[in-house]
Amino acid sequence: MGGRDAARRQPSVVVRDLHVRYRTDADVVRHGRGRHGGHGHESRWLSGRGAVVEALRGVSFTTYEGESVGIIGQNGSGKSTLLRLVAGLERPTSGEVWASSQPALLGVNAALQPELSGAQNVRLGCLAMGLTPAEVDRVLPDILEVSAIGQAIRLPMKTYSSGMAARLRFAIAVATRSRILLIDEALATGDATFKERSEERLRERLSRAGTVFLVTHVGKVVEQQCARAIWLHDGEVVLDGPAYETAQKYRWWAWNVAQGKHSVADALLGEARSSAST
Amino acid sequence: MSFTPSDTSSPSSDAALEGPAGETSLDSMRTDESLGHLRRIGQRPSLGVYTVQLWHRRHYIWADSKARSRSGHRGMFLGSAWLVLKPLLDGAIYALIFGFLFNTNRGIANFPSYVIIGTFLFHATSNCLNGGASSITSGANMIRAFAFPRAALPLSVVTRGVVSMGPMLATMIALILIIPPHAQVTWRWLLFPLVLMLQMLLNTGLSLITARLTFQVPDFRLILGVIIRILFYGSGVFYSIDRFVHHPWLQFLMESNPLFIVLDMSRDVLLYDRTPALSSWLLLTERSLLILLIGYVFFWWKEEDYGRP
Repeated sequence: MGGRDAARRQPSVVVRDLHVRYRTDADVVRHGRGRHGGHGHESRWLSGRGAVVEALRGVSFTTYEGESVGIIGQNGSGKSTLLRLVAGLERPTSGEVWASSQPALLGVNAALQPELSGAQNVRLGCLAMGLTPAEVDRVLPDILEVSAIGQAIRLPMKTYSSGMAARLRFAIAVATRSRILLIDEALATGDATFKERSEERLRERLSRAGTVFLVTHVGKVVEQQCARAIWLHDGEVVLDGPAYETAQKYRWWAWNVAQGKHSVADALLGEARSSAST
Repeated sequence: MSFTPSDTSSPSSDAALEGPAGETSLDSMRTDESLGHLRRIGQRPSLGVYTVQLWHRRHYIWADSKARSRSGHRGMFLGSAWLVLKPLLDGAIYALIFGFLFNTNRGIANFPSYVIIGTFLFHATSNCLNGGASSITSGANMIRAFAFPRAALPLSVVTRGVVSMGPMLATMIALILIIPPHAQVTWRWLLFPLVLMLQMLLNTGLSLITARLTFQVPDFRLILGVIIRILFYGSGVFYSIDRFVHHPWLQFLMESNPLFIVLDMSRDVLLYDRTPALSSWLLLTERSLLILLIGYVFFWWKEEDYGRP
Protein backbone atom coordinates (compact mmCIF):
# COMPACT_ATOMS: atom_id res chain seq x y z
CA MET A 1 0.00 0.00 0.00
CA GLY A 2 1.10 3.56 0.07
CA GLY A 3 2.04 3.94 -3.53
CA ARG A 4 -1.51 4.14 -4.76
CA ASP A 5 -2.31 7.26 -2.77
CA ALA A 6 1.11 8.74 -2.85
CA ALA A 7 0.26 11.32 -5.44
CA ARG A 8 -2.08 13.20 -3.15
CA ARG A 9 -0.52 12.32 0.18
CA GLN A 10 2.49 13.94 1.73
CA PRO A 11 5.33 11.61 2.63
CA SER A 12 6.27 12.09 6.27
CA VAL A 13 9.11 9.63 6.72
CA VAL A 14 11.33 8.12 4.06
CA VAL A 15 13.70 5.40 5.13
CA ARG A 16 16.29 4.36 2.59
CA ASP A 17 18.30 1.17 2.75
CA LEU A 18 19.18 1.29 6.44
CA HIS A 19 21.99 -0.94 7.59
CA VAL A 20 23.17 -1.14 11.17
CA ARG A 21 26.14 -3.17 12.22
CA TYR A 22 27.42 -3.36 15.77
CA ARG A 23 30.77 -4.66 16.77
CA THR A 24 30.47 -6.42 20.07
CA ASP A 25 32.72 -8.17 22.49
CA ALA A 26 32.73 -11.72 21.23
CA ASP A 27 31.70 -13.42 24.44
CA VAL A 28 28.63 -11.35 25.13
CA VAL A 29 26.97 -11.65 21.73
CA ARG A 30 23.40 -12.73 21.95
CA HIS A 31 21.40 -13.66 18.94
CA GLY A 32 20.35 -10.65 16.95
CA ARG A 33 21.14 -8.13 19.66
CA GLY A 34 23.58 -5.34 19.52
CA ARG A 35 23.95 -4.79 23.24
CA HIS A 36 27.03 -5.44 25.23
CA GLY A 37 27.47 -5.67 28.95
CA GLY A 38 29.78 -2.72 29.26
CA HIS A 39 31.18 -3.67 32.63
CA GLY A 40 34.56 -4.60 33.96
CA HIS A 41 37.75 -4.26 32.05
CA GLU A 42 36.99 -6.29 28.98
CA SER A 43 39.37 -4.86 26.46
CA ARG A 44 38.43 -3.82 22.98
CA TRP A 45 41.89 -4.17 21.58
CA LEU A 46 43.47 -6.86 23.67
CA SER A 47 40.82 -9.58 23.35
CA GLY A 48 40.48 -9.66 19.59
CA ARG A 49 38.11 -7.85 17.31
CA GLY A 50 34.83 -9.20 18.67
CA ALA A 51 31.88 -10.18 16.53
CA VAL A 52 29.78 -8.15 14.15
CA VAL A 53 26.06 -8.15 14.69
CA GLU A 54 23.77 -6.91 11.95
CA ALA A 55 20.75 -5.30 13.56
CA LEU A 56 19.30 -3.98 10.30
CA ARG A 57 20.11 -5.11 6.79
CA GLY A 58 18.61 -2.92 4.18
CA VAL A 59 15.32 -1.56 5.45
CA SER A 60 13.43 0.85 3.18
CA PHE A 61 9.93 2.26 3.32
CA THR A 62 7.96 5.47 3.02
CA THR A 63 5.17 6.61 5.31
CA TYR A 64 2.63 9.34 4.70
CA GLU A 65 0.91 12.03 6.70
CA GLY A 66 -1.95 10.61 8.72
CA GLU A 67 -0.68 7.08 8.64
CA SER A 68 -0.33 4.84 11.68
CA VAL A 69 2.23 2.17 11.11
CA GLY A 70 2.77 -0.86 13.29
CA ILE A 71 6.23 -2.35 13.32
CA ILE A 72 6.03 -5.96 14.39
CA GLY A 73 8.63 -8.62 14.86
CA GLN A 74 10.11 -10.79 17.53
CA ASN A 75 12.65 -9.68 20.08
CA GLY A 76 15.89 -8.92 18.34
CA SER A 77 14.32 -8.40 14.93
CA GLY A 78 15.59 -4.83 14.83
CA LYS A 79 12.35 -2.99 15.67
CA SER A 80 13.73 -0.82 18.42
CA THR A 81 16.90 -0.10 16.50
CA LEU A 82 14.79 1.03 13.57
CA LEU A 83 12.77 3.27 15.85
CA ARG A 84 15.88 4.91 17.28
CA LEU A 85 17.21 5.53 13.79
CA VAL A 86 13.95 7.13 12.69
CA ALA A 87 14.14 9.29 15.81
CA GLY A 88 17.66 10.29 14.81
CA LEU A 89 19.08 9.10 18.11
CA GLU A 90 21.51 6.70 16.54
CA ARG A 91 23.44 6.75 13.30
CA PRO A 92 22.99 3.95 10.78
CA THR A 93 26.06 2.24 9.39
CA SER A 94 24.66 3.17 5.99
CA GLY A 95 21.39 4.43 4.62
CA GLU A 96 19.32 7.51 5.32
CA VAL A 97 16.26 8.70 7.16
CA TRP A 98 14.32 11.69 5.89
CA ALA A 99 11.36 13.21 7.66
CA SER A 100 9.06 16.20 7.41
CA SER A 101 9.77 17.14 11.03
CA GLN A 102 11.84 15.85 13.91
CA PRO A 103 10.27 12.55 15.03
CA ALA A 104 10.08 11.93 18.78
CA LEU A 105 9.99 8.81 20.88
CA LEU A 106 6.99 8.83 23.17
CA GLY A 107 8.41 8.63 26.65
CA VAL A 108 9.87 10.99 29.15
CA ASN A 109 11.29 8.75 31.85
CA ALA A 110 14.94 9.49 31.13
CA ALA A 111 14.52 13.15 32.01
CA LEU A 112 12.69 12.70 35.30
CA GLN A 113 14.31 12.78 38.72
CA PRO A 114 12.72 10.75 41.51
CA GLU A 115 13.93 13.22 44.14
CA LEU A 116 11.86 16.02 42.65
CA SER A 117 8.18 16.62 43.16
CA GLY A 118 5.67 15.59 40.53
CA ALA A 119 5.14 19.20 39.52
CA GLN A 120 8.86 19.83 39.09
CA ASN A 121 9.11 16.68 37.04
CA VAL A 122 6.30 17.80 34.78
CA ARG A 123 8.29 20.93 34.07
CA LEU A 124 11.54 19.07 33.60
CA GLY A 125 9.99 16.44 31.35
CA CYS A 126 8.28 19.00 29.15
CA LEU A 127 11.44 21.06 28.80
CA ALA A 128 13.34 17.90 27.88
CA MET A 129 10.83 17.26 25.12
CA GLY A 130 11.64 20.68 23.77
CA LEU A 131 8.71 22.73 25.00
CA THR A 132 9.36 26.34 25.94
CA PRO A 133 8.61 27.48 29.52
CA ALA A 134 5.54 29.32 28.23
CA GLU A 135 4.27 26.16 26.55
CA VAL A 136 4.88 24.22 29.73
CA ASP A 137 2.65 26.63 31.64
CA ARG A 138 -0.02 26.12 29.03
CA VAL A 139 -0.02 22.31 29.10
CA LEU A 140 0.46 22.02 32.86
CA PRO A 141 -3.23 21.99 33.90
CA ASP A 142 -3.96 19.44 31.22
CA ILE A 143 -1.20 17.14 32.42
CA LEU A 144 -2.40 17.42 36.01
CA GLU A 145 -5.90 16.50 34.92
CA VAL A 146 -4.87 13.55 32.78
CA SER A 147 -2.56 12.11 35.39
CA ALA A 148 -5.17 12.50 38.15
CA ILE A 149 -2.39 12.80 40.71
CA GLY A 150 -4.18 15.43 42.80
CA GLN A 151 -2.39 16.91 45.79
CA ALA A 152 0.38 14.33 45.55
CA ILE A 153 1.82 16.40 42.71
CA ARG A 154 3.73 18.31 45.41
CA LEU A 155 5.38 15.18 46.79
CA PRO A 156 8.65 13.74 45.54
CA MET A 157 8.04 11.35 42.69
CA LYS A 158 9.89 8.56 44.46
CA THR A 159 7.02 8.40 46.95
CA TYR A 160 4.53 7.60 44.18
CA SER A 161 3.11 4.15 43.64
CA SER A 162 4.20 2.60 40.39
CA GLY A 163 0.72 3.25 38.98
CA MET A 164 0.80 6.92 39.88
CA ALA A 165 4.28 7.35 38.45
CA ALA A 166 3.27 5.60 35.24
CA ARG A 167 0.22 7.86 34.92
CA LEU A 168 2.27 10.97 35.38
CA ARG A 169 4.94 9.83 32.91
CA PHE A 170 2.25 9.08 30.37
CA ALA A 171 0.51 12.40 30.90
CA ILE A 172 3.76 14.28 30.40
CA ALA A 173 4.80 12.24 27.39
CA VAL A 174 1.61 12.87 25.42
CA ALA A 175 2.17 16.61 25.77
CA THR A 176 4.88 16.35 23.11
CA ARG A 177 4.43 18.62 20.14
CA SER A 178 6.06 16.30 17.66
CA ARG A 179 4.10 15.53 14.49
CA ILE A 180 5.83 12.19 14.07
CA LEU A 181 5.40 9.99 17.11
CA LEU A 182 7.34 6.82 17.79
CA ILE A 183 5.96 4.48 20.42
CA ASP A 184 7.91 1.52 21.72
CA GLU A 185 5.82 -1.41 22.98
CA ALA A 186 2.50 -1.07 24.73
CA LEU A 187 2.56 1.69 27.29
CA ALA A 188 2.45 0.43 30.81
CA THR A 189 -0.23 2.58 32.35
CA GLY A 190 -1.33 1.67 35.82
CA ASP A 191 -4.83 0.71 36.83
CA ALA A 192 -7.76 -0.25 34.66
CA THR A 193 -9.80 2.94 34.95
CA PHE A 194 -6.81 4.93 33.91
CA LYS A 195 -6.11 2.53 31.08
CA GLU A 196 -9.35 3.52 29.42
CA ARG A 197 -8.69 7.18 29.91
CA SER A 198 -5.11 6.91 28.73
CA GLU A 199 -6.10 5.02 25.62
CA GLU A 200 -8.66 7.67 24.86
CA ARG A 201 -6.08 10.37 25.44
CA LEU A 202 -3.55 8.54 23.32
CA ARG A 203 -6.03 8.11 20.47
CA GLU A 204 -6.85 11.79 20.65
CA ARG A 205 -3.19 12.66 20.67
CA LEU A 206 -2.44 10.31 17.79
CA SER A 207 -5.19 11.84 15.72
CA ARG A 208 -3.41 15.16 16.07
CA ALA A 209 -0.05 13.66 15.15
CA GLY A 210 0.87 13.40 11.52
CA THR A 211 2.35 9.95 11.61
CA VAL A 212 2.53 7.32 14.30
CA PHE A 213 4.90 4.37 14.52
CA LEU A 214 4.00 1.69 17.01
CA VAL A 215 6.58 -0.95 17.78
CA THR A 216 5.41 -4.15 19.39
CA HIS A 217 5.86 -7.88 19.24
CA VAL A 218 2.14 -8.38 19.77
CA GLY A 219 0.38 -8.68 16.44
CA LYS A 220 -3.03 -7.98 17.91
CA VAL A 221 -2.10 -4.49 19.10
CA VAL A 222 -1.15 -3.56 15.58
CA GLU A 223 -4.43 -4.88 14.19
CA GLN A 224 -6.34 -2.71 16.63
CA GLN A 225 -4.37 0.48 16.42
CA CYS A 226 -2.73 0.69 13.03
CA ALA A 227 -3.70 0.87 9.39
CA ARG A 228 -0.45 -0.44 8.07
CA ALA A 229 2.09 -2.89 9.38
CA ILE A 230 5.70 -3.63 8.67
CA TRP A 231 6.94 -7.03 9.71
CA LEU A 232 10.63 -7.12 10.56
CA HIS A 233 12.65 -10.28 10.90
CA ASP A 234 16.40 -10.48 11.40
CA GLY A 235 16.80 -6.88 10.40
CA GLU A 236 14.88 -7.21 7.16
CA VAL A 237 11.38 -6.27 6.10
CA VAL A 238 9.43 -9.48 5.58
CA LEU A 239 6.14 -7.87 4.71
CA ASP A 240 4.81 -4.34 4.42
CA GLY A 241 1.08 -3.96 3.92
CA PRO A 242 -2.36 -3.43 5.46
CA ALA A 243 -2.22 -3.97 9.20
CA TYR A 244 -4.77 -6.77 9.44
CA GLU A 245 -3.37 -9.07 6.74
CA THR A 246 0.24 -8.46 7.73
CA ALA A 247 -0.38 -8.93 11.43
CA GLN A 248 -2.37 -12.11 10.76
CA LYS A 249 0.49 -13.62 8.81
CA TYR A 250 2.94 -12.58 11.47
CA ARG A 251 0.83 -14.07 14.24
CA TRP A 252 0.41 -17.37 12.43
CA TRP A 253 4.14 -17.51 11.88
CA ALA A 254 4.93 -16.53 15.48
CA TRP A 255 2.50 -19.17 16.76
CA ASN A 256 4.29 -21.83 14.76
CA VAL A 257 7.64 -20.67 16.08
CA ALA A 258 6.30 -20.81 19.62
CA GLN A 259 5.03 -24.35 19.00
CA GLY A 260 8.45 -25.36 17.79
CA LYS A 261 7.20 -26.05 14.26
CA HIS A 262 10.19 -24.42 12.67
CA SER A 263 9.81 -25.96 9.24
CA VAL A 264 6.25 -24.61 9.00
CA ALA A 265 7.41 -21.24 10.29
CA ASP A 266 10.23 -21.07 7.79
CA ALA A 267 7.87 -21.92 4.99
CA LEU A 268 5.49 -19.18 6.11
CA LEU A 269 8.33 -16.70 6.27
CA GLY A 270 9.43 -17.57 2.76
CA GLU A 271 5.84 -17.35 1.56
CA ALA A 272 5.38 -13.93 3.11
CA ARG A 273 8.61 -12.70 1.59
CA SER A 274 7.73 -13.89 -1.88
CA SER A 275 4.22 -12.46 -1.62
CA ALA A 276 5.78 -9.11 -0.79
CA SER A 277 8.01 -9.05 -3.83
CA THR A 278 5.27 -9.81 -6.34
CA MET B 1 16.00 12.80 -9.12
CA SER B 2 15.90 15.58 -6.66
CA PHE B 3 15.05 14.65 -3.14
CA THR B 4 15.30 18.03 -1.59
CA PRO B 5 16.91 21.14 -2.95
CA SER B 6 19.84 20.55 -0.67
CA ASP B 7 20.22 16.86 -1.40
CA THR B 8 23.76 16.17 -2.46
CA SER B 9 23.80 12.71 -1.02
CA SER B 10 24.62 9.25 -2.17
CA PRO B 11 24.44 8.17 -5.79
CA SER B 12 23.15 4.82 -4.57
CA SER B 13 19.84 6.31 -3.53
CA ASP B 14 17.99 4.90 -6.55
CA ALA B 15 18.84 1.37 -5.64
CA ALA B 16 18.09 2.13 -2.04
CA LEU B 17 14.44 2.77 -2.72
CA GLU B 18 13.68 -0.70 -3.91
CA GLY B 19 11.77 -2.10 -1.01
CA PRO B 20 8.44 -3.84 -0.73
CA ALA B 21 6.72 -0.52 -0.20
CA GLY B 22 9.34 1.70 -1.66
CA GLU B 23 9.08 0.26 -5.13
CA THR B 24 5.60 1.51 -5.88
CA SER B 25 6.13 4.90 -4.35
CA LEU B 26 9.45 5.43 -6.06
CA ASP B 27 7.96 6.70 -9.29
CA SER B 28 5.68 9.10 -7.59
CA MET B 29 8.58 10.35 -5.52
CA ARG B 30 10.59 11.24 -8.53
CA THR B 31 7.91 13.55 -9.76
CA ASP B 32 6.51 14.73 -6.47
CA GLU B 33 8.02 18.08 -5.68
CA SER B 34 6.44 18.07 -2.24
CA LEU B 35 9.27 15.82 -1.06
CA GLY B 36 11.28 18.96 -0.86
CA HIS B 37 9.94 19.48 2.64
CA LEU B 38 11.73 16.44 3.97
CA ARG B 39 14.99 16.80 5.80
CA ARG B 40 17.66 14.41 6.86
CA ILE B 41 17.22 12.99 10.36
CA GLY B 42 20.07 12.12 12.67
CA GLN B 43 22.55 14.14 10.70
CA ARG B 44 24.91 16.58 12.31
CA PRO B 45 23.67 20.10 11.61
CA SER B 46 25.95 22.95 10.67
CA LEU B 47 27.73 24.69 13.53
CA GLY B 48 25.37 27.63 13.28
CA VAL B 49 22.20 25.55 13.43
CA TYR B 50 23.76 23.47 16.18
CA THR B 51 24.40 26.57 18.23
CA VAL B 52 20.83 27.73 17.77
CA GLN B 53 19.51 24.32 18.84
CA LEU B 54 21.76 24.44 21.87
CA TRP B 55 20.43 27.87 22.73
CA HIS B 56 16.86 26.53 22.59
CA ARG B 57 17.94 23.81 24.96
CA ARG B 58 18.98 26.29 27.65
CA HIS B 59 15.74 26.03 29.65
CA TYR B 60 16.14 22.33 30.11
CA ILE B 61 19.86 22.58 30.89
CA TRP B 62 19.17 25.16 33.55
CA ALA B 63 16.25 23.30 35.16
CA ASP B 64 18.13 20.02 35.11
CA SER B 65 21.32 21.52 36.54
CA LYS B 66 19.47 23.24 39.36
CA ALA B 67 17.67 20.04 40.27
CA ARG B 68 20.76 17.89 40.13
CA SER B 69 23.08 20.14 42.06
CA ARG B 70 20.47 20.18 44.82
CA SER B 71 19.84 16.45 44.77
CA GLY B 72 23.51 15.52 44.40
CA HIS B 73 24.09 15.20 48.12
CA ARG B 74 20.65 14.12 49.13
CA GLY B 75 20.63 11.07 51.33
CA MET B 76 23.89 12.08 52.96
CA PHE B 77 23.59 13.26 56.56
CA LEU B 78 25.07 16.66 55.89
CA GLY B 79 23.37 17.11 52.53
CA SER B 80 24.16 20.31 50.66
CA ALA B 81 26.59 21.36 53.37
CA TRP B 82 29.10 19.25 51.46
CA LEU B 83 29.17 21.88 48.75
CA VAL B 84 31.04 23.95 51.31
CA LEU B 85 32.63 21.26 53.47
CA LYS B 86 34.45 19.42 50.71
CA PRO B 87 36.56 22.37 49.48
CA LEU B 88 36.96 23.47 53.09
CA LEU B 89 38.53 20.17 54.08
CA ASP B 90 40.69 20.13 50.95
CA GLY B 91 41.92 23.63 51.65
CA ALA B 92 42.69 22.81 55.26
CA ILE B 93 44.65 19.72 54.30
CA TYR B 94 46.73 21.47 51.67
CA ALA B 95 47.42 24.43 53.93
CA LEU B 96 48.55 22.02 56.61
CA ILE B 97 50.71 19.81 54.42
CA PHE B 98 52.31 22.44 52.26
CA GLY B 99 52.34 25.25 54.76
CA PHE B 100 53.62 23.42 57.81
CA LEU B 101 55.27 20.27 56.59
CA PHE B 102 56.92 21.32 53.36
CA ASN B 103 57.18 25.02 53.90
CA THR B 104 56.18 25.82 50.35
CA ASN B 105 54.95 29.09 51.83
CA ARG B 106 58.38 30.65 51.58
CA GLY B 107 58.00 34.10 50.20
CA ILE B 108 54.23 34.00 49.96
CA ALA B 109 52.28 36.58 51.88
CA ASN B 110 49.05 35.35 53.43
CA PHE B 111 49.82 31.76 52.57
CA PRO B 112 46.62 30.13 53.98
CA SER B 113 44.41 32.30 51.80
CA TYR B 114 46.79 31.71 48.90
CA VAL B 115 46.18 27.96 49.19
CA ILE B 116 42.46 28.37 49.79
CA ILE B 117 41.95 30.35 46.60
CA GLY B 118 44.12 27.84 44.78
CA THR B 119 42.24 24.75 45.88
CA PHE B 120 38.75 26.20 45.59
CA LEU B 121 39.23 27.48 42.06
CA PHE B 122 41.22 24.47 40.99
CA HIS B 123 38.37 22.23 42.07
CA ALA B 124 35.91 24.17 39.97
CA THR B 125 37.96 23.25 36.91
CA SER B 126 38.82 19.68 37.86
CA ASN B 127 35.14 19.01 38.58
CA CYS B 128 34.28 20.14 35.08
CA LEU B 129 37.01 17.96 33.59
CA ASN B 130 35.72 14.90 35.43
CA GLY B 131 32.07 15.78 34.92
CA GLY B 132 32.58 16.32 31.21
CA ALA B 133 34.32 12.97 30.95
CA SER B 134 31.36 11.10 32.43
CA SER B 135 28.66 13.27 30.85
CA ILE B 136 28.05 11.05 27.82
CA THR B 137 27.91 7.83 29.81
CA SER B 138 25.70 9.26 32.52
CA GLY B 139 23.50 10.90 29.90
CA ALA B 140 23.10 7.69 27.91
CA ASN B 141 19.43 7.43 28.81
CA MET B 142 18.78 10.96 27.66
CA ILE B 143 20.65 10.32 24.44
CA ARG B 144 18.55 7.24 23.77
CA ALA B 145 15.29 9.02 24.48
CA PHE B 146 15.50 12.54 23.10
CA ALA B 147 16.91 14.24 20.06
CA PHE B 148 18.87 17.28 21.21
CA PRO B 149 22.33 18.69 20.59
CA ARG B 150 24.52 16.38 22.62
CA ALA B 151 26.79 19.22 23.72
CA ALA B 152 23.98 19.99 26.16
CA LEU B 153 25.28 17.14 28.33
CA PRO B 154 28.79 18.48 29.03
CA LEU B 155 27.31 21.96 29.16
CA SER B 156 24.93 20.99 31.90
CA VAL B 157 27.88 19.66 33.86
CA VAL B 158 29.44 23.11 33.67
CA THR B 159 26.12 24.73 34.53
CA ARG B 160 25.78 22.48 37.53
CA GLY B 161 29.23 23.64 38.57
CA VAL B 162 28.11 27.24 38.24
CA VAL B 163 24.99 26.59 40.31
CA SER B 164 26.97 25.00 43.12
CA MET B 165 29.58 27.73 42.86
CA GLY B 166 27.50 30.14 44.91
CA PRO B 167 27.95 28.48 48.30
CA MET B 168 31.47 27.49 47.39
CA LEU B 169 32.53 31.04 46.56
CA ALA B 170 30.79 32.38 49.64
CA THR B 171 32.83 29.99 51.76
CA MET B 172 36.02 30.92 50.01
CA ILE B 173 35.43 34.64 50.51
CA ALA B 174 34.42 34.13 54.13
CA LEU B 175 37.57 32.13 54.79
CA ILE B 176 40.00 34.60 53.32
CA LEU B 177 38.31 37.38 55.26
CA ILE B 178 38.37 35.47 58.53
CA ILE B 179 41.78 33.85 58.43
CA PRO B 180 44.59 36.16 59.49
CA PRO B 181 46.14 38.15 57.98
CA HIS B 182 42.67 39.08 56.82
CA ALA B 183 42.21 39.89 53.17
CA GLN B 184 41.00 43.44 52.58
CA VAL B 185 38.00 44.18 50.41
CA THR B 186 39.00 46.67 47.76
CA TRP B 187 37.52 47.88 44.50
CA ARG B 188 39.70 45.34 42.74
CA TRP B 189 37.38 42.62 43.99
CA LEU B 190 35.05 43.81 41.27
CA LEU B 191 37.50 42.33 38.78
CA PHE B 192 37.13 38.87 40.28
CA PRO B 193 33.84 38.00 38.49
CA LEU B 194 35.59 38.76 35.20
CA VAL B 195 38.32 36.26 36.01
CA LEU B 196 35.67 33.74 37.02
CA MET B 197 33.85 34.24 33.76
CA LEU B 198 36.98 33.53 31.78
CA GLN B 199 37.58 30.45 33.89
CA MET B 200 34.05 29.31 33.11
CA LEU B 201 34.72 29.58 29.38
CA LEU B 202 37.87 27.57 29.91
CA ASN B 203 35.96 24.94 31.92
CA THR B 204 33.32 24.65 29.23
CA GLY B 205 35.89 24.07 26.52
CA LEU B 206 37.76 21.52 28.60
CA SER B 207 34.63 19.57 29.52
CA LEU B 208 33.61 19.36 25.86
CA ILE B 209 37.03 17.95 25.05
CA THR B 210 37.04 15.38 27.85
CA ALA B 211 33.46 14.40 26.96
CA ARG B 212 34.38 13.37 23.43
CA LEU B 213 37.69 11.81 24.37
CA THR B 214 36.19 9.60 27.06
CA PHE B 215 33.37 8.64 24.74
CA GLN B 216 35.76 7.50 22.04
CA VAL B 217 38.44 6.10 24.27
CA PRO B 218 36.97 5.01 27.63
CA ASP B 219 40.51 4.47 28.89
CA PHE B 220 40.97 8.21 28.80
CA ARG B 221 39.16 8.44 32.11
CA LEU B 222 42.21 6.95 33.81
CA ILE B 223 44.60 9.17 31.91
CA LEU B 224 42.47 12.13 32.93
CA GLY B 225 43.25 11.41 36.58
CA VAL B 226 46.93 11.77 35.78
CA ILE B 227 46.34 14.92 33.73
CA ILE B 228 44.41 16.50 36.59
CA ARG B 229 47.24 15.71 38.96
CA ILE B 230 49.78 17.26 36.60
CA LEU B 231 47.52 20.27 36.28
CA PHE B 232 47.27 20.48 40.05
CA TYR B 233 51.01 20.58 40.52
CA GLY B 234 51.54 22.69 37.44
CA SER B 235 49.13 25.46 38.36
CA GLY B 236 50.80 26.66 41.50
CA VAL B 237 47.90 25.76 43.72
CA PHE B 238 50.07 25.58 46.84
CA TYR B 239 53.41 27.14 45.93
CA SER B 240 54.73 30.10 44.06
CA ILE B 241 56.14 29.38 40.65
CA ASP B 242 58.70 32.20 40.92
CA ARG B 243 60.15 30.53 44.00
CA PHE B 244 60.29 26.93 43.01
CA VAL B 245 60.57 26.72 39.27
CA HIS B 246 63.82 27.93 37.86
CA HIS B 247 64.09 26.08 34.60
CA PRO B 248 63.09 28.69 31.99
CA TRP B 249 61.20 26.26 29.77
CA LEU B 250 59.24 24.81 32.63
CA GLN B 251 58.50 28.29 33.87
CA PHE B 252 57.27 29.32 30.47
CA LEU B 253 55.06 26.24 30.22
CA MET B 254 53.53 26.81 33.62
CA GLU B 255 52.96 30.47 33.12
CA SER B 256 51.12 29.90 29.89
CA ASN B 257 48.87 27.35 31.59
CA PRO B 258 45.52 29.17 31.64
CA LEU B 259 44.58 27.70 34.99
CA PHE B 260 47.73 29.11 36.53
CA ILE B 261 46.81 32.51 35.11
CA VAL B 262 43.32 32.19 36.64
CA LEU B 263 44.75 31.46 40.08
CA ASP B 264 47.41 34.10 39.79
CA MET B 265 44.99 36.81 38.74
CA SER B 266 42.43 35.84 41.37
CA ARG B 267 45.05 36.13 44.11
CA ASP B 268 46.26 39.44 42.77
CA VAL B 269 42.75 40.81 42.88
CA LEU B 270 41.51 39.27 46.12
CA LEU B 271 44.62 39.12 48.30
CA TYR B 272 47.31 41.45 47.09
CA ASP B 273 45.30 44.42 45.88
CA ARG B 274 47.07 44.35 42.54
CA THR B 275 45.50 44.93 39.18
CA PRO B 276 46.56 42.03 36.96
CA ALA B 277 48.70 43.02 34.03
CA LEU B 278 46.98 43.62 30.73
CA SER B 279 49.08 40.85 29.23
CA SER B 280 47.55 38.39 31.71
CA TRP B 281 44.04 39.44 30.79
CA LEU B 282 44.76 39.10 27.10
CA LEU B 283 46.54 35.80 27.46
CA LEU B 284 43.76 34.30 29.58
CA THR B 285 41.03 35.57 27.27
CA GLU B 286 42.83 34.20 24.26
CA ARG B 287 43.49 30.81 25.83
CA SER B 288 39.98 30.42 27.20
CA LEU B 289 38.27 31.37 23.96
CA LEU B 290 40.62 29.19 21.95
CA ILE B 291 40.02 26.15 24.15
CA LEU B 292 36.28 26.79 24.13
CA LEU B 293 36.22 27.04 20.36
CA ILE B 294 38.40 23.98 19.86
CA GLY B 295 36.33 22.02 22.37
CA TYR B 296 33.07 23.04 20.76
CA VAL B 297 34.08 22.06 17.25
CA PHE B 298 35.84 18.95 18.51
CA PHE B 299 32.69 17.79 20.29
CA TRP B 300 30.31 18.75 17.49
CA TRP B 301 32.40 16.81 14.99
CA LYS B 302 31.27 13.48 16.46
CA GLU B 303 27.69 14.59 17.14
CA GLU B 304 26.11 11.72 15.20
CA ASP B 305 28.04 9.07 17.08
CA TYR B 306 27.17 9.75 20.71
CA GLY B 307 24.03 7.61 20.43
CA ARG B 308 26.03 4.55 19.52
CA PRO B 309 25.31 1.79 22.00
